[in-house]
Amino acid sequence: MVTPPRPWLHGFLDLCLLAMLRERPDYGYGLAQRLAAAGVADVPGGTLYPALLRLEQQGWVEPSWHPSESGPRRKYYAVTESGQATLNAQAAEWHRFRDGIDQLVAAGAPR
Amino acid sequence: MTPDSPRPNPHGGAGPSGGAGPSGGAGPASGWADRFADELLRLGVQPPRARRLAEETTQQAAECATAPDALFGPAHLYARHLITELNTAALNPTALNPTAFNPTALNPAVPKAGAGPSGGAIDPGDVRLRLTGVGKRYRRRTIFAGVNLTVRAGEVAAIVGANGCGKSTLLRICASLTRPSSGTVQRTRRVGFVPQDGGTAGWLTADEHFTLFGAAAGVAPRRARSTGEHLAGRLAWRPSRDQLTQHLSGGTRQKLNLVLGELHSPDLLLLDEPYQGFDQGTYLSFWQQILAWRDAGKAVVVVTHLLHDLQHVNQVHDLGATA
Repeated sequence: MVTPPRPWLHGFLDLCLLAMLRERPDYGYGLAQRLAAAGVADVPGGTLYPALLRLEQQGWVEPSWHPSESGPRRKYYAVTESGQATLNAQAAEWHRFRDGIDQLVAAGAPR
Repeated sequence: MTPDSPRPNPHGGAGPSGGAGPSGGAGPASGWADRFADELLRLGVQPPRARRLAEETTQQAAECATAPDALFGPAHLYARHLITELNTAALNPTALNPTAFNPTALNPAVPKAGAGPSGGAIDPGDVRLRLTGVGKRYRRRTIFAGVNLTVRAGEVAAIVGANGCGKSTLLRICASLTRPSSGTVQRTRRVGFVPQDGGTAGWLTADEHFTLFGAAAGVAPRRARSTGEHLAGRLAWRPSRDQLTQHLSGGTRQKLNLVLGELHSPDLLLLDEPYQGFDQGTYLSFWQQILAWRDAGKAVVVVTHLLHDLQHVNQVHDLGATA
């Protein structure tokens, strides 16, 4: 399991969540598992759920309740139109950032 | 206000765990949800929203098949964390959607993204402490005079100065433990005071201190203990059940002091060089703790003689200079 230094994830958690929800609507625990499976991070519940509420509050995702076969019903989130726009902007920002870092890291690396 | 024992009160709407019931069933979980909702109300969240957030949070724990306190920690601490998180939503640099809900940043020290009136639970920049022309004399001798100091929510103020210039006296005046010879003190009611030393009883354990100080602030014993243990953890200290305070090292006793000052979640923290005997790591986490308080909208006044501490504070009051 990967646990990157927190500040890294902190800046990009919204981006990751929006991207996963664009792929398909999901609920909190499912998102946590997908983040872990992708090797990005084990996100503690105390970080994940407030982030989801924030996205909802900003109108970027829309919740809906669904029953589950086992146990309590679940709150699924789907990306809204404005969430989509935010995702595109944040993805572009991420690419710029990643390319910049790549360039800096590669610049002095021995060949 | 805070239920001591779990009430037989299944939370409505959010159907409690059907099959995959995590540890303990509905009893402790609803106790947690009640405490969580209580704290949200105390922080100024409207009742319907507090109830909804409590229900949702319970549900989130259920979907992880975990007890809420295992997933989120003590209820009231998570409530504060959540409110801070939601209030800083506007810090994300995305001006794409100006119609979206956009609360103002809590903390004046952080650059604000969207300006506008605060919809947050904590009013940014409320004055928590104001000293106006405060002076202190002992017999004929003037210790200091004419001290003016205003500390707002989300600010850290440092009081510096040479030994004997009255730093501790000034802090005691801020806490209303000492009467000023002149001037006025206005401050918020909920204040936490951490003295330089003393303030703990040698024949009590850490847990007993938590219970005792909690009782003085109207906090139920169980909650006082869990809060105390959680706060101790942030200072890398795990209090042992049966160790008397007189057998703790000086540094650990100071940690206890610090935890006791914060136990009842004061709006204003007054700290008198509370790091005597701390090792380097603890000292750093102590300053991180101060910054966390600041970001959560607390006002902090810290007496110090270590000038390299001052990079993080919003204002410095040099007491030697006004004497």
